[in-house]
Amino acid sequence: MLNYAIKRLGLAVVIVSVAMFLLFSMIYLIPGDPASVALGPRATEAMKAALRERMGLDQPIWVQFWNFYSGAWTGDLGTEILSERPVLTVVMEQLPYTVALIVGGISWSVALGIPLGCLAAVRRGGWVDRIVGVLSVAVIAVPSFVIAIYALLIFAVWLQWLPAIGAGEPGEPGDQLVHLILPSLAVGIGWVGYIARMVRASMLEVLEASHIRTAYAFGLPDNQIIYRYALSIAILPTVTLLGIGIGQMLSSAVFAEIVFSRPGVGKLVYDAILTRNFPVVTGAVLVTTAFFVLLNLIADLIVGALDPRVRSNF
Amino acid sequence: MSETKHFPLSRRSLLASAGAFGVVGAVYPRMALSQDGKILKVRSYSDIQILDPAFRLSAPEGDIMTAIFAGLATYQTGDEWAWKPMAVESLEQLDDLTIAFKLRDKIGFTDGFGQMTAEDVKFSIERIADPANESPYAGDWATLKEVEVKDTLSGVIHLREKFVPLWSSTLPTASCCILSKAAVEAEGGKIGTKPVGQSGPYLMTEWTPKQRTILKRNPDWAYEPGGFEEIHIFPIEDPAAAEIGFEAGDLDHTWTAVSSISRLKDAPPAGGVIVEKPSLAYVWMGMNQDVAPFDNPNIRRAVQHAIDRETVVEAAYFGAATTSTGIIAPGLAGHREAVLYDYDPDKAREILAAEGAEGLTVTLDILNQSERLAAAQVIQANLADVGITCEIKQNDSGTFWTLGDKGGDYWNKLQMHLGRFSMQPDPSWATVWFTPEQIGVWNWERWNSPEFAELHAQGLVEGDPAKRDEIYRKMQDLMDEGGCYVFLTHEVTGVLHRDTVNPGLKPNGEALLAEFKPV
Repeated sequence: MLNYAIKRLGLAVVIVSVAMFLLFSMIYLIPGDPASVALGPRATEAMKAALRERMGLDQPIWVQFWNFYSGAWTGDLGTEILSERPVLTVVMEQLPYTVALIVGGISWSVALGIPLGCLAAVRRGGWVDRIVGVLSVAVIAVPSFVIAIYALLIFAVWLQWLPAIGAGEPGEPGDQLVHLILPSLAVGIGWVGYIARMVRASMLEVLEASHIRTAYAFGLPDNQIIYRYALSIAILPTVTLLGIGIGQMLSSAVFAEIVFSRPGVGKLVYDAILTRNFPVVTGAVLVTTAFFVLLNLIADLIVGALDPRVRSNF
Repeated sequence: MSETKHFPLSRRSLLASAGAFGVVGAVYPRMALSQDGKILKVRSYSDIQILDPAFRLSAPEGDIMTAIFAGLATYQTGDEWAWKPMAVESLEQLDDLTIAFKLRDKIGFTDGFGQMTAEDVKFSIERIADPANESPYAGDWATLKEVEVKDTLSGVIHLREKFVPLWSSTLPTASCCILSKAAVEAEGGKIGTKPVGQSGPYLMTEWTPKQRTILKRNPDWAYEPGGFEEIHIFPIEDPAAAEIGFEAGDLDHTWTAVSSISRLKDAPPAGGVIVEKPSLAYVWMGMNQDVAPFDNPNIRRAVQHAIDRETVVEAAYFGAATTSTGIIAPGLAGHREAVLYDYDPDKAREILAAEGAEGLTVTLDILNQSERLAAAQVIQANLADVGITCEIKQNDSGTFWTLGDKGGDYWNKLQMHLGRFSMQPDPSWATVWFTPEQIGVWNWERWNSPEFAELHAQGLVEGDPAKRDEIYRKMQDLMDEGGCYVFLTHEVTGVLHRDTVNPGLKPNGEALLAEFKPV
């Protein structure tokens, strides 16, 4: 197991390094002078030159990359060019909001997707199954920002049940939770469809298994058979699917954070790209990449611990 | 496997879940907090990044600074541009080069930095003017000689030469906010995102990055108090998102998109009031005279005649804005009644035929905003009507605002662009960007008129309003004659506020936070 863990950790380091290289290369392909954008119309050439020097933009690109790369491994992601605050601080201020958004999105997708999938499976072929099928495909097909806008109009503007903007009062979890409902729904709704389809398919397979038939033959209650014996097996592929879903939800989070004017890493990166605040772009994307790789590493280690075949095949 | 008949997950349970979702909304208070007169919730279009008047980066930062750092003067609310004293008992122009001030005696700085003194005034103004400090706002004090301290509260501002915009666009702005010399020095010479030595009617007490900034009424401010106990400022870049936030009851005041004004006037949100204010901003289409085909002045003239400005503005702003006659808005010295070369497609075709320039293909660079795109599409159609094929190129803001930089990648490719500049209430703010020294900086048309530059310099020192008016009219005539410009609109500012709030607005609709009052 130790050998497996070391190999997986090594792979994670390589993935993050490659991501850093690609990220750095792409950033410098974006047109637009960061100093001009940052300092605005009244800046003189001397001021712009001074800012470029402070940002290290006057250095050869490989020197800039090395500074970024070596700094990143020691936790130094540079300094935000305008406020001169450490980038790591700036990113870590925003990360909890994005994590909360993704956890909320997963919660929605699990809370709605699993029951709908179960319902469709046990009512196979009926109108409930058909409606769930159509709804699942519909929510998968509709972009999350469209869902976000309609959710805003219905629940915030027309019904005025829920807030439209912001992340709630700092230090008030209840208020923050209420502010999380619509954005997390927008992020997670697409995955309701995926999970419902996955759970339905798995359930249909499991419900045909001999031990389930035996349970029915013994006259066990339906609830017990479905929840205790069928769903507990059928849900396993869904857990794997959710791992992939986190990556996609991270990108959906950008839209949700913009539409709902929430703080978060997605909004931070969006704003930083518009203002060519490169240290923040690289720092924020690196942190989210590392976060995603770390989650996958943990998942792989858990699977490896549970299944010896995975360890031996790696 | 047969269908299970008594599966516990029923439509009823799903409906119950939806009901619970509704209950959450029902118990959540959805009323504007300004109704009790305590908290005002307003939108700004960007978050703060620096709270130093000498190095501010955006208008929202200036709005906050003028509320938390008392300045010598501030703008008056209303429809006419005027100033009123803020930190001073008196502020008087003794002659063209001398302004005397006497501070109010009960203004103190927070954080234990004591009373505001004339020494602080000297420090605050001279640090902006000093070229060594490289303040982007040094131009606001371009002709400052020195600030002389007479006694603890009195002093004299000495100018090297007359500077007419001083009273309209320097003294009432953040460029005249007074900082505590001791506080700034204690901070190492520059204030960041945490203000020290605050002195205004409000104090900034909390900043949650990307989320909100909270100002609280300053209990030690002995003069006209702020209208609300707290002002919560939410950074929301997209005006449409802010409009939804207002309709949902999360905001008490916001600017709207110009294209939303008609809709909001027809169907204002419950408890909402929509106000239209004339904007000082100006929108134009520019042609780069150093790049073919616009290096031919006759082609430029043809394009001036080809654009139906009224239709362009109608399409972009849904009737909320009118066409402009130049870069200087109504109400300011130099505003003209008409452009010299307006829509005349037959004349455009005639010129193009005479130049043998039929079948031209050109590019129009724009910012990726819906209003600009709508305007560009009408321009595209207008040009097609006279035989010019126009390709529209949309750019994000980071790319767009560097397209015309000298030495940049696009410097020799930029042909036409749609520009929009905002400005302060003095015509010199409009003309400064089109002088020859701005070529490759903000003069993307590379229009090179020494006469224009000379008139701009004259306008800065000309005190006679009639002569000043004549100077700026002449300057816009020169711009028209040069052929590089098609003036489109000054837009209009849409302000949406709760009917429980009396908004403190400058004549152009910009917010004066300290002037907001509950009704």
